Amino acid sequence: MKNIAIVVNNKKPKKPLIKLETRNNLEKKIRQQSDELESKSTQLKQGIDREKLSTDREKIAEERIHIQSKAMESTLDGIFIVDAQKSGFPVIYANPSFFNLTGYSKSEVLGKSYFSLYGVDVNLRIFEEIKEILQEGKSFHGEVLNLKRNGEKFWSLLRIAPVRDNKGLITHYVGIKTDTTLIKQRDSEIQEQREELLHVTRVGKLAEFVSSLAHEISQPLTAILSYAQAAQRMFKDREPQLQEILQYIINDDQRATEVIRRLRTLLKKTKPTFEPLNINTIINDTVTLIMPQITSKNISINLKLDNDLPLIHGDRIQLQQVLLNLISNSIEAMDESPDPRELLIKAFLKEANTIMVKVRDSGVGIPPENMKKLFGHFFTSKPDGLGMGLSISRSIVEAHGGHLEAENNIDRGATFNFSLPIGIKETV
Amino acid sequence: MSSNIYIVDDDESVCRALKTLLMTYDFDVHTFNSAQSFFENVHPDECGCLLLDIHMPGMDGWETHKKILETGSKRPVIFISAEKKDDAAKRAFKVGALGFLQKPVNGQTLVDLINKATNS
Repeated sequence: MKNIAIVVNNKKPKKPLIKLETRNNLEKKIRQQSDELESKSTQLKQGIDREKLSTDREKIAEERIHIQSKAMESTLDGIFIVDAQKSGFPVIYANPSFFNLTGYSKSEVLGKSYFSLYGVDVNLRIFEEIKEILQEGKSFHGEVLNLKRNGEKFWSLLRIAPVRDNKGLITHYVGIKTDTTLIKQRDSEIQEQREELLHVTRVGKLAEFVSSLAHEISQPLTAILSYAQAAQRMFKDREPQLQEILQYIINDDQRATEVIRRLRTLLKKTKPTFEPLNINTIINDTVTLIMPQITSKNISINLKLDNDLPLIHGDRIQLQQVLLNLISNSIEAMDESPDPRELLIKAFLKEANTIMVKVRDSGVGIPPENMKKLFGHFFTSKPDGLGMGLSISRSIVEAHGGHLEAENNIDRGATFNFSLPIGIKETV
Repeated sequence: MSSNIYIVDDDESVCRALKTLLMTYDFDVHTFNSAQSFFENVHPDECGCLLLDIHMPGMDGWETHKKILETGSKRPVIFISAEKKDDAAKRAFKVGALGFLQKPVNGQTLVDLINKATNS
């Protein structure tokens, strides 16, 4: 710019006789040229910048592609890309995890139809479904059971989405496969444990119910038998017809007694298996089992379990039963109560040889008149309750050498707490 | 002279029926609906066999028996219970009772056991 200006200045003194208009014209021309030059220079500069920019961009893009492809190679999810425009959807790319997951090698996968892989014999219907969805240009999301190359079954979460070009045309499909076998296994283990516990609880309830019923019925049967035998003696050697009737009463009394005896034998409670147990493990396991109910009812749960608690000696299932019962009661007690609904479970060392477990809720609490009857047989405050839960829980805790008690909290809700002696053997 | 029989059972009907039955064997029968009422009315030195229910509200049969032993009384005790506890009979013998009978109690079996107690 500067140079050009100098050239212009130099020209001036050499032609001093130029007319005023001409001079004006000249100035105009020079200005035009100078403007042109300036704009050309700007253009040139911009051109250089653009070039530099595009190399920078290329570099960044390259780096990005590198990172992206590295990421695809490193992820544990199986990733694959299929060509959407060729029939049969041939696989054009698959990452190492895909090969690990399916057990197929690169040459067995690339170029082959996606559906020819691991769909064989397993849930063909689902693969038809996937095919249809893809042909309609939609995405697929679902859990499928696959076969590995060696025939081993595995569950996976499969997501397939279309990849479109600039015009919106589907050129490829990208799929992600996540092995969910472990999650599935864990889920089914939890489900099994829940079933087992529920079964034991049901059988336990029934056994306790029958035992209570048997007790209640045995009392009048005792009275009836005694009255009949007393009458037989009173009328000894007299009134043969009355004697006969009394004998029938006695026989039927004994028949009823026999029915009860058989029922009792049938529902004999399985003997508890006592072993060294970590109470925190039992609490955590039980909470896992009942978590779906806790979350569905919008209850926040807080576990305050002291570390390094000594082991107790007990029956795992029975103690889970107690906890499940107390937690379920707490959940039900909070049905009508306003938020926040809080469930607190604590485990701590009370004395040198006693562990305390507390289950605290923010529910309706226990009416004072129910406090005494709470642990009795057949006592229930629920419309469909049997009234067995707490009485069974108490007898379980007592069989472990502990105590189960209830109290209302000062603010709201109730707390059930039970103690368990450390490492003490079966007491009954 | 007829011998004394004491019955402690929270079920009034059971008390009345056993009393009626045992009276036909010429026993002098006294019934109580709680252990407390028994202790209040019967001196430890008064003779007589005790039929003791196990499952009772308040002081149960085992506790009652323990308290009797603590007073130094030599009273023969027969446990009776409507509850089925396999180890109850064993436990009854272990604590020094005369025996354990499952409800409903057969009159003759009961009387035989009482006679065994009063004769020995």
